[in-house]
Amino acid sequence: MLKYIIKRLLAGVLTMVVLITVAFFMMHAMPGGPFAPSEEKNVPVEVLERIAASYGLDQPVWKQYLNYWNNLLHGDLGISYKTVGTVNEKITGHFPYSARVGGLAVLFSLLIGIPMGLIAALYRGKAADLTTLALATIGISVPVFVLSLLLSYLFSSKLNWLPTYGLDTWQCYILPVICLSFNPIAYIARQTRSSMLEALEQDYIRTARAKGVRELMVVAKHALKNALTPVITYLGPLIAGLLTGSFVVESRFAIPGLGYYFVRSISDRDYTMIMGIVIFFGLFVVICNLVSDILLAIVDPRVKLAND
Amino acid sequence: MSTRVPDPDTYASLPEEMFVIGADDTGAEEIARPSTTYWHDVWQHFRRDRLAVIGLVVILLITLLCIVMPMVSPYTYDGSDYLHMNAGPSLQHPCGTDQLGRDQFIRIMYGARISLTIGFVAAAINFAIGVIYGGLAGYLGGRTDMILMRIVDILSSLPSLLYIVLIMLIFGSNMGSVILALCFTSWIGTARVVRSEVMYLKHSEYVLASRLAGASTWHLLIHHLIPNAMGPIIVSTAFLIPGAIFSEAFLSFLGIGIQAPQASWGSLANAAIPVMQMYPHLMLFPVIAICITMFSFNFIGDGLRDALDPRLKK
Amino acid sequence: MNLLEVKNLNTSFHIGVGVVQAVRGISFDVAEGESVGIVGESGSGKSVTMLSVMGLLPEYADISADSIRFDGREITKLSKKAARAMHGSEIGMIFQDPMTSLNPLFTVESQLTEPLRIHRHMNKAQARQRALELLRQVEIPNPEARLKQYPHELSGGLRQRVMIAIALACEPKMIIADEPTTALDVTIQAQILDLLQHLKQKTKASIIMITHDLGVIASMCTRIFVMYGGVICEQGSAREIFYDAKHPYTWGLLNSIPKVTGKTGEKLIPIKGTPPDMLKPPAGCPFSPRCRYCMPVCRTYMPPLTALSDTHIVACHLTHPKAPKITKGV
Repeated sequence: MLKYIIKRLLAGVLTMVVLITVAFFMMHAMPGGPFAPSEEKNVPVEVLERIAASYGLDQPVWKQYLNYWNNLLHGDLGISYKTVGTVNEKITGHFPYSARVGGLAVLFSLLIGIPMGLIAALYRGKAADLTTLALATIGISVPVFVLSLLLSYLFSSKLNWLPTYGLDTWQCYILPVICLSFNPIAYIARQTRSSMLEALEQDYIRTARAKGVRELMVVAKHALKNALTPVITYLGPLIAGLLTGSFVVESRFAIPGLGYYFVRSISDRDYTMIMGIVIFFGLFVVICNLVSDILLAIVDPRVKLAND
Repeated sequence: MSTRVPDPDTYASLPEEMFVIGADDTGAEEIARPSTTYWHDVWQHFRRDRLAVIGLVVILLITLLCIVMPMVSPYTYDGSDYLHMNAGPSLQHPCGTDQLGRDQFIRIMYGARISLTIGFVAAAINFAIGVIYGGLAGYLGGRTDMILMRIVDILSSLPSLLYIVLIMLIFGSNMGSVILALCFTSWIGTARVVRSEVMYLKHSEYVLASRLAGASTWHLLIHHLIPNAMGPIIVSTAFLIPGAIFSEAFLSFLGIGIQAPQASWGSLANAAIPVMQMYPHLMLFPVIAICITMFSFNFIGDGLRDALDPRLKK
Repeated sequence: MNLLEVKNLNTSFHIGVGVVQAVRGISFDVAEGESVGIVGESGSGKSVTMLSVMGLLPEYADISADSIRFDGREITKLSKKAARAMHGSEIGMIFQDPMTSLNPLFTVESQLTEPLRIHRHMNKAQARQRALELLRQVEIPNPEARLKQYPHELSGGLRQRVMIAIALACEPKMIIADEPTTALDVTIQAQILDLLQHLKQKTKASIIMITHDLGVIASMCTRIFVMYGGVICEQGSAREIFYDAKHPYTWGLLNSIPKVTGKTGEKLIPIKGTPPDMLKPPAGCPFSPRCRYCMPVCRTYMPPLTALSDTHIVACHLTHPKAPKITKGV
């Protein structure tokens, strides 16, 4: 087990190194740069060059790259070019909002998606199954930004039932969490349904029945454990999907989270912010993947073997 | 009862000629079910899936409309009608007009061109990369496979959106860079499918047979492995198209995709947000277009998956 | 006294294209302590017969029977709960593929003690004790270590031994072994057969052995049922089936087993053709399309059952007085 965890950990570190390197050189390949002379702002070239130099941008690229790593290893993501403050402050300041909404969305997705998929599988072909499949198709086909537009239009602008801004009251959470978890619920329900159906057809289910195991236990013990392994594998991508969703949802509902600031720093071309958030998101996803890998190895003893 | 056991009296009085061996020999080998080709089977199965057929018809219809309508319509995507700005749907402008008096219907049709082009082109490129990459990894195996798959693992362990955003920033906001960005990681799914199929087929006997007959690697790949791995590849490609359309709309929605005055569905929806309360039709129509297209492609994908899955056929 | 009595069992499956009539009016019985074999090709309905008796078929299976009596009880009328109480305690089952028949996510201990805890209400320690005993009984070395392992850590032969231990756990009155050796290597097959033979002598349980290989049951079973196309085409004592078979299909089966004593150069003769499509079974004898002695009557009528002795019953038109006399064909 320890060997397995170390292996996964190393893979995660490698992923981060690649991401940081790719992101760094992409940033440098970008046309213009943050302090390139522009027509709108009439700032003398020398001033711009001095500003660039103060950020170390006049040094050769490889040196900047090493500097970036050096700072990074000291936990320093640099200074925001376009707003006041360091990238670290921005991330620690805004991440909690994202975490609260995102955490609720994860919980909501699992609590709704898994039972939905289970019920659909157990009542295959019945009304509950068909309803689940229809809902899941809607959930997969309707993009998160469309949903957030429609819901905020309907419930906030038209009906005036729910607030559209900020996170001040609990009502504020309803729309963002629904928007964020809509897609994941659909995926989890579909996945649970199909893996449950597959598990129920396995020979070991017949063995369990031949042993005289109660039908409830056949489903809840023998089938469910096997059916949930693909859902655990989905936890990593689920988090990644929530990040994507958070860009839209946080912008739409004016939640001062990281997704919102990511979108803003993109339109501001605030490169250190973009880099910082990309690295932070990357790290976050790598950790989530690691956790889901370890969880999977605990549930399914074959996983460790396959990876050795 | 399908079993016909004669009653004893009838049985005893059956004529002699009923008991002559080989009297009406029609041969031992009988073909039990009419044999059909694989693709014929798949089509038959797909045809019975009503939702998938509807999806296919809708997509064909949208494709046709977005090619023909801009040619016959009196409006262009950037021509303004200053007499009718922010107008609601009417006979003249079936989907209304926007802030600059541009005909929304034609803009949605142009958006369809962009979305569908991006969807199909990105899917085609991803298909090609995925098949080649996965085919190579699976066929060569060993160390090459391990290195290729580690690369894929690293690429896929992060949300592709992070890469996509970076690529869009470097190459600027236009259709080319959207496609480029979408091709960065989307082929991974296809590559994985192809690899495992190829791995599986590599060890099957008919490939061994053709290898013994002196077939070259290239010949094997083209004539045996790829056609046999086609089912799962088609399914994963079918789902790539809505994925690409979704990503484009998403990027445009964030303001880093297709730029004005061109319009994609995502940018139309984005442009409508500030005036959403006053002129909901500006948001509604592009959003409906996106949803219908996504539904149709997902239905087609589901239909293909069911039709191509040999386990479901009996 | 008969432990199991099945009268006129019919099982069919409703699938998209039609109705598959897997079992068509089968009757048989198994005496207490007796071991019988059911032989036939894949698709002959032998496994479906036993799964129907056990009620282990999926819901889309349609099972009807005049009566199925086990140990004096009519099991077609049992409640689900009562049927469950019987499964695993009075009837133990061994399945074909030990690779897939054990749940990959649970330890041997968990799977082996499950029937003990359900039916014998043992506590954890008692069940463990009994599990160790069982593993020793099926000749698994180092049982303490094996209990903690997962199925994927065991070889095919060991897994099948675990399956047998599970079937034996509650000392059942009857054991149904559905192709217990088919998925195993030849040497392992022999070991498992030895074990079953050995256990048969030790326990007083009746054994029903389902197989496509007459060779497998030659030494184990006192009576044999030969199935083809969802019906029993011949049944009799092992001696009658091996030395005095009357049905052309049984001849075919006998000719396709290799004999140790056979003369050199003796060929194995395969049965030509494929089993019938049970979506549309032939109107007459199901074997008629492949039978080299096929007569016009065979295509029109199902052959009636003809008793040749107390135990030997055959369903073939060749037994009709007007039919040509074939002594022992190939």
